[in-house]
Amino acid sequence: MSNYIRKKNHSGKKLAALIVVFIIVFCSVFLSSRSKIEFSVPDKTVMAIMSPFQNTFSWVGSQLAFLEKTVSEMRHLHQQNKQLREEVELLRAQNLTASEFAAENQRLRALLGYKQVATQFDLVAAKIIGREAATWSSVVVINRGTADGVADNMAVVTELGLVGHVMEAGLNTSKVQLILDPRSSVGTLIQRPESRVAGIVEGDLNDPNHPRMINIPKNADVQIGDMVVTSGFGGVYPKGLVVGKISDIHNDEGGLLKYGVMDASVNFEKLEDVAVIVASRETPPEPLPPPAQTPGTETDPAKTAEQLKQSQQAVQDAGNNVHQAQQQQLQQSQQQQQTQGQPQQTTQPAPGGGVRR
Amino acid sequence: MKVFFSGLLLLLVMYGLQTSLLTFLDYNGVSVNLMLLVTVSVAFLHGWKAGVAAGLLTGLLQDFSSGSFFGCATFSYMTIGLFFGRFSKHVFKEQMFFPVLSAPMAAAIHFCIMSAFLFMLGMKPDLIQSVRTILIPFVLYQLVFSWFVHKVVKSFGNFAAEQMQIKTGGLK
Repeated sequence: MSNYIRKKNHSGKKLAALIVVFIIVFCSVFLSSRSKIEFSVPDKTVMAIMSPFQNTFSWVGSQLAFLEKTVSEMRHLHQQNKQLREEVELLRAQNLTASEFAAENQRLRALLGYKQVATQFDLVAAKIIGREAATWSSVVVINRGTADGVADNMAVVTELGLVGHVMEAGLNTSKVQLILDPRSSVGTLIQRPESRVAGIVEGDLNDPNHPRMINIPKNADVQIGDMVVTSGFGGVYPKGLVVGKISDIHNDEGGLLKYGVMDASVNFEKLEDVAVIVASRETPPEPLPPPAQTPGTETDPAKTAEQLKQSQQAVQDAGNNVHQAQQQQLQQSQQQQQTQGQPQQTTQPAPGGGVRR
Repeated sequence: MKVFFSGLLLLLVMYGLQTSLLTFLDYNGVSVNLMLLVTVSVAFLHGWKAGVAAGLLTGLLQDFSSGSFFGCATFSYMTIGLFFGRFSKHVFKEQMFFPVLSAPMAAAIHFCIMSAFLFMLGMKPDLIQSVRTILIPFVLYQLVFSWFVHKVVKSFGNFAAEQMQIKTGGLK
């Protein structure tokens, strides 16, 4: 009997513990969604532990993907070029390694080209090593962290446009929230000069590949095909980054606003290499263009500036000479007066370098 | 200790696979969820307590390493571990049919729990479209991989049992 009671008490405690755990986990969902609680230390620890596994599997995956791509290309060529099949296969086999490097080289060249063009940004190149499995959120893991200068809320781009921002930077890896994520919101503008309508781009839960530009007034000048760029409001994303293109416009349920469905400029399904903007500054202004000159009276601006400089120097030299001569005359007259012993009149130099009597 | 670290390593390898290599096989952003399959298999093989524990461990691993709302995956996996663990006593351990067949059901339950959380958090997913674009490919992926994962979990369970036997034999 006592065994039965003890067993019953024991199972009751287990049940109570289970219910408590369930309640804690359930509450933590809502607390974390409102940022009331943060788990930065365990987050970073788990990321640090996972990074070698993710790096390894990512590398294997890229190799397999490349192999799969190569095999499919080879089959295609086999169908189209039956007569040249053996030769093509031989060349493909020989170029397998070279092609892989070439593809990587091409991607990195494009990224480097962007880096050279975008002089207002300091960029850190990164590779995607992991993707979030949850279907309603869009988060990727990159192989750069605080050790490489990456910090939270830094913008992430490719040469094609905006990718997202660093959600959480670990030591060697970072989580990047893509602009496709429903929780992401990017301050944007329509690039067309006569429009410049502001809106917010956020991910669409129901159509993950097409983000939406929301909060557009119903009478605003927004057209299909308009390019959307970041506005720079909010401080996370620098101004002028390409986000995508308006592909469709719908009226919002409320009736006062409308939203635009967008084609993102970046192909997120084929995203492999990205760049993190670790520092950004304003673009220096363009030098002023010289004004249009009347035909027949053209002058060389550089030569004119040189002549002006020379003439200014000559005027200054002449002024100095005059001043020296006046000083000498003054000294001579003072000496003469001292020798005569009758200082009836006094002379003093005028402020302008002349002599006042 | 050896069993614990082996299990942890297996879990990390599987999660690494899920988040990197297997994403290459995704369909419209949907790919297989090995953590869910592990939870279901453990629940079937070792009962509801082990199922809840496995759900807690795999859920925390996913919640900590991913950028999702903390606790969603943990709550969902624990519930699934508890639910399928209840059938443990009624299922013959050696057969594969029920664990494999339950994988799509677990996927559907997971989808329902996540959708409920999204609604409670103020998001408005289109359920009909989500079923078409997310749930159906997700269920198919889970069905394809469930046999393999169940086999791995069962092998690990046998390995753990052997180790325990050796340990208890040594103590005698």
